[in-house]
Amino acid sequence: MNRRPRRSLALLTLALGAAAAGLVRGEIYQAPDAFVAEVFGSRPAPKVLWLTQDLQAQAAAILGHSPAQLRQRYWSDSRKSVWILEEIGKEELITAGFVVVDGRIDHVRVLVYRESRGQEVRTPSFLKQFKDAKLALGDRLDREIDGIAGATLSVAAMERMARLALFFDRTSRK
Amino acid sequence: MSPRLLLLRLLRRWHARIGFAALLFFLILAVTGLALNHGQSLGLDGRFVHAEWLARWYGIKSEPPRRVFRSGHHVLTAANGRWLLDGKISGEKLPQAVGLVELADVFVVASDTALHVYRENGELIEKVGPGALPGAPVRAIGSNARRIVLRTASGVFASADALSWRPASERSVRWSVPAELSISEQQAYEEALAPGISVEQLLLDLHSGRFAGRYGPLAVDLLALLLVTLSLTGAWLFLVPRMHRGRH
Repeated sequence: MNRRPRRSLALLTLALGAAAAGLVRGEIYQAPDAFVAEVFGSRPAPKVLWLTQDLQAQAAAILGHSPAQLRQRYWSDSRKSVWILEEIGKEELITAGFVVVDGRIDHVRVLVYRESRGQEVRTPSFLKQFKDAKLALGDRLDREIDGIAGATLSVAAMERMARLALFFDRTSRK
Repeated sequence: MSPRLLLLRLLRRWHARIGFAALLFFLILAVTGLALNHGQSLGLDGRFVHAEWLARWYGIKSEPPRRVFRSGHHVLTAANGRWLLDGKISGEKLPQAVGLVELADVFVVASDTALHVYRENGELIEKVGPGALPGAPVRAIGSNARRIVLRTASGVFASADALSWRPASERSVRWSVPAELSISEQQAYEEALAPGISVEQLLLDLHSGRFAGRYGPLAVDLLALLLVTLSLTGAWLFLVPRMHRGRH
């Protein structure tokens, strides 16, 4: 490879790297702690759900991969719980907040979006599909979530996180 | 010999020659195309190839590790977005580490925006992000009487579990301080911390020809034209004798 193509490849890679680095922090729509404070009116102390081997296996079945960490923090009162979850859409993590009331999703919000495409998953018209969703047989949602053209992987990630939030809520109340 | 027969013989000869000459390139195109088509299920975007020669080929300057954090039982050195924790790579695209502290049964690595809490065996317990930190950026991490202590832009805070934080004093805190690596240590760690190219990016560049630089895509264009030629000559060789036989 002569110098010029090599330089252009390096520049392309650096440009992609710089773009990726710029997106690492992503678009922050709402800070996770502000989301928790909005739901409860104040910021309660977090609780922790430890993922035992059994829970890890069940979470892995929902996610399609092992959970990234061994403990999951959440916030709850007698009826509702809040879960801030992260899942990769295509290449970067999507951070979303899930509010679960009486075993059903009350509302969902995309808090940080780091992918370069697929931001449509944060629109209310998409997120309202999760309203009142609960777990059905096989820890699947009791409804189909309509996809978004060009955001298929982000939609799938949101659905996985919704199932996980409901599963964690059920587990934390046992 | 009739001109039609001559033409058929010529086409057959060149069809075979072109097919054989381009065999390797067609195989590369087919294999990379197949892999890219199933990239998501194969997890290609999450896998990286780490090799000095590949980084050089891509013109990526490799940053050698310069500093190391040591606690009682753990060693952390970092470069090129990678952490080498107790001799094992712990991830990609990671931020620069600020420090490392060890408590009774866990150890914690701090970057300016997050804490990574690990079990003694290196399993990640939790990544504590900016929203769960008492302040950001984190400037230093230390320990004091079985508590993690953070020095942040908003002050100094301590926690026993990285869940709840209280303002604290800096008195008698043992801050994590990096040590300089010797040249031989740098060389030993450099290979393990070589920058990576994602497998998906590599396959895309091979498939499109960009891997070979500016003229690579033109070579792939030429291969596409050869494939068109092969398809047309193949169709000709298949159809014309049958049509001819049909007339007799």
